[in-house]
Amino acid sequence: MSKEIKTQVVVLGAGPGGYSAAFRAADLGLDVVLVERYSTLGGVCLNVGCIPSKALLHLAKHIEDAKHMAAEGVEFGEPKIDLDKIRKHKDKVIGQLTGGLGQMSKMRKVQVVNGYGKFTGQNSLKVEGDDGETTINFEHAIIAAGSQPIKLPFVPHDDERIWDSTDALELKEIPERMLVLGGGIIGLEMGCVYSALGSTVDVVEMTEQLIPPADKDIIKSFMKQIKGKFDQVMVNTKAAKLEAKKDGIYVTFEGKDAPKEPVKYGAVLVAVGRAPNGGKLDADKAGVKVTERGFIEVDKQLRTNVDNIFAIGDIVGQPMLAHKAVHEAHVAAEVIAGKKHFFEPKVIPSIAYTDPEVAWAGVTEKEAKEQGIEYDAVTFPWSASGRAIASNAQQGMTKLLFDKSNRIIGGAMVGTNAGELLGEVCLAIEMGCDAEDIALTIHAHPTLHESIGLAAEVHEGSITDMPNPKAKKKK
Amino acid sequence: MANAQEVKVPDVGGEEVEIIEVLIAEGDSIEAEDALITVESDKASMDIPAPFGGKVDSVKVKVGDKIKEGDLLALISAADDNGDDEADSDSTDEAETEQQQDTQQDEAKDTEADNESDSQQSEQSSSAKGESQVVEVKVPDIGDASDVEIIEVLVAAGDSVNKEDGLITLETDKATMDVPCPDDGEIVEMLVKAGDKVSEGSVIAKMKVTAGADESAAQDSKDNTEKQASSDTEERSDKAEKKAEQKPAQSTPTSERQPPVPDHSSQRSDRKDGVLHASPAVRRVAREFGVDLSQVSASGPKNRILKEDVQSYVKYELSRPKAAAGTMSGGAGGLQVIDQPKVDFSKFGEIEEVALSRIQKISGPNLHRNWVTIPHVTQFDEADITELENFRKAENEVAKKQDLGFKITPLVFIMKACAKALLEYPQFNSSLAPDGEHLIMKKYVHIGIAVDTPNGLVVPVLRDVDKKGIYELSKELLEVSARARDGKLKAADMQGGCFSISSLGGIGGTAFTPIVNAPEVAILGVSRSDMKPVWNGKEFVPRLTLPLSLSYDHRVIDGALAARFTSYLSQVLSDIRKLVL
Repeated sequence: MSKEIKTQVVVLGAGPGGYSAAFRAADLGLDVVLVERYSTLGGVCLNVGCIPSKALLHLAKHIEDAKHMAAEGVEFGEPKIDLDKIRKHKDKVIGQLTGGLGQMSKMRKVQVVNGYGKFTGQNSLKVEGDDGETTINFEHAIIAAGSQPIKLPFVPHDDERIWDSTDALELKEIPERMLVLGGGIIGLEMGCVYSALGSTVDVVEMTEQLIPPADKDIIKSFMKQIKGKFDQVMVNTKAAKLEAKKDGIYVTFEGKDAPKEPVKYGAVLVAVGRAPNGGKLDADKAGVKVTERGFIEVDKQLRTNVDNIFAIGDIVGQPMLAHKAVHEAHVAAEVIAGKKHFFEPKVIPSIAYTDPEVAWAGVTEKEAKEQGIEYDAVTFPWSASGRAIASNAQQGMTKLLFDKSNRIIGGAMVGTNAGELLGEVCLAIEMGCDAEDIALTIHAHPTLHESIGLAAEVHEGSITDMPNPKAKKKK
Repeated sequence: MANAQEVKVPDVGGEEVEIIEVLIAEGDSIEAEDALITVESDKASMDIPAPFGGKVDSVKVKVGDKIKEGDLLALISAADDNGDDEADSDSTDEAETEQQQDTQQDEAKDTEADNESDSQQSEQSSSAKGESQVVEVKVPDIGDASDVEIIEVLVAAGDSVNKEDGLITLETDKATMDVPCPDDGEIVEMLVKAGDKVSEGSVIAKMKVTAGADESAAQDSKDNTEKQASSDTEERSDKAEKKAEQKPAQSTPTSERQPPVPDHSSQRSDRKDGVLHASPAVRRVAREFGVDLSQVSASGPKNRILKEDVQSYVKYELSRPKAAAGTMSGGAGGLQVIDQPKVDFSKFGEIEEVALSRIQKISGPNLHRNWVTIPHVTQFDEADITELENFRKAENEVAKKQDLGFKITPLVFIMKACAKALLEYPQFNSSLAPDGEHLIMKKYVHIGIAVDTPNGLVVPVLRDVDKKGIYELSKELLEVSARARDGKLKAADMQGGCFSISSLGGIGGTAFTPIVNAPEVAILGVSRSDMKPVWNGKEFVPRLTLPLSLSYDHRVIDGALAARFTSYLSQVLSDIRKLVL
């Protein structure tokens, strides 16, 4: 059966970017059709990404915390892991959120068409769904088709024991020993989960540090804190060969930290990044330019080279983050509705929800050096924070970067709840706060977030919670 | 105030009226019947004229006041009185107070620019007092030189002088220069002679100023300023507000009125884009107005640009007269007109709303732009086409016999004649260069023909009309008109025209004023030909006469040339043998 519908705006993909664009457009009075290939809305983020991983990381954190409490006088004994129940819990979390999205699209009269959408022209696309084909004639389109995990040529991806992030989230089993291939955010988060659930986890990373974009000092502190969580953390090393044998995947390493012999793993999680889905939409039929790597280039209003077609989210470039996509989505929908809005944030925050969390926003010290920005970097070690010590988080640190006019240009934290602390830094950067503004803002005590105010005091030279390097010298 | 006379509101129809404009300011010289103020009743607006000429001593009303017959408008000293009265009426004092406040506060700012405006104001207030208008003329800034020798004195006491006239000539070791007269008036006394040495600020003459206060008239007024500043005033209120209030009163009758300008020192710190201090909401509002934030001066703490800063920048920019307006290149023109009133037509009877066609929507704004930015003149003429029509009809018989598949229309001859005239008068075959200082002369003759289609007016262009024959053009015209009516013209078909012809001959009318199709500079309108009695010297003979209406861009073409063009065109059409000459 084939149908034909007409709409003002069609949104291709119902991830955070897609549904936000659709809802925003609908709220601005436009007719909207949302095309999604899966049966539930929410995309990777809600179904097989941010949200389920956080559900599992929440458990992992409590398992770890419970372990530590033995030293503090409270003993829980060995945790009993019921994988089925965990899986059910995770699915419940997902269900609650995606179900909410379904209701909200009904409320907003956004028509959802399930199936795989491909362009057939500048004003039309065809959706192949289970219940037939639908032709959608649109005035404007927003491409929000996202990305997918990169596959590597030398990896036998067909083997069940080779996982991508989606597989890892399914919790089919807890392998005795697993390898995380790729030391980025996704790999480390899943590594933390499996480590807490009982696996021995190794991590291999080609570059010189885990979470490569983060500053060295932050990662150094992170490495100290994850000691014991991972067995082998191999940097400047690559997995050269993966052999699937009956009793396991044998991985041969090359590089600085490579063991001499191949190592046997029950599972290998390949988490080396994500590739945009730009090449899978027949975008050329609409005249939309797609780069060789599958990205779609857009202007500051998220418009592609074709005037009535917009693109947002992972598909338009790094960083591939849901919150970036959502803001782009709003701008795209608003531009279609005739508003003169532009996507021009100063910062897009990044967070690794590992245990401990790593979070940063704005200019890193690395970038400041590359870009030749004059800066002053200050750190406040959480060992000087009462709240951190009381919460077994004294290894964390807060770091702020100021430019030569003392305005904040970047910030990073590593430690418990670092991701939650980052919000203040983002707001401060967008509002153009300088060190004095932050230092003079009264932060509640005792909290972890007061570390931001205290770091600013370090820069200002007014810190009293630790030795003040800028104090007047007495004779 | 011995000589000052009161000017009262004359009979304005027995009702109270509102002042919408004050056209005089204190110190202005006016003549009898000059407009003093403009008032508006609910029926009409009118100017109230001066009953006699003279100098305005004080203005007793301001914009917004409601007045009726007999109310006091102003005090005016009769023309031959340059009296030295002491001002003593309350309102005069008030006006002074205001100005003193300003001068005082401006003084505090102590910038050169401000001093200049101070001078202006204090000069006015001194006129307002009715003191002598005799001012001292001083040597202006002459660079670093001091003790410069006067080599010539160009005027003498009693001479009438105009602003910018040379008064004396100075010679430094580098150059000689004239000291210009600061204003119109009469020299009362020359205080220097040739051979004297002067420096910046030296008083060289006393002169009586005739015109109203002028900024440069008051080089001496710094003294005044200081005097006034020392007389203290109690009340200090917002300076910007005062300034805005004062503006209308200050303007002379001739100067252009301007809306009150927010006091925006748009001037522009040397901030670089990278360190702009504006929150996301402010950045967004700036985007909406297309404001470059680096141009906005910040008033928030630590140079933070606030929303208010963006708003006042926009207001400031809107109130600024656009420098480009009215230049030869004909920019947007900066027209500031009020909106059309919204009328609910359904109140008066049944209505139906019909969308404009696509072509109308596109051509409308272009026609509007051309209409308001091009100074149009339309030249009317007639051509005797009796012979032309005889020839054309005969040729059409031939064409029919040979089954050529087309008819020759009068329009084709008109096109040929225009092509000929364009070659003869190449200014009609030009466009204004964007810089407004050059003409772009075209060496080709492409003529646009306005075609009425069901969807609206389109103007396809026929190329190289001067090089094509009647047959060829007839065929081409037939083909292109058909495509125009079918809506199949391409953009390229409508580009490159040098001149346009709009023929309404098939419909009727005696003449009309077509709108120039910019960047072309002229367009020929053709109306219906008519048999008319023409005096041939002995008798009236019936001649077929074609009315021509040539609209042209007066910036490029003057009237004489246009008349020559149409009479040449008329001659060619009257005797088409001229086409082959």
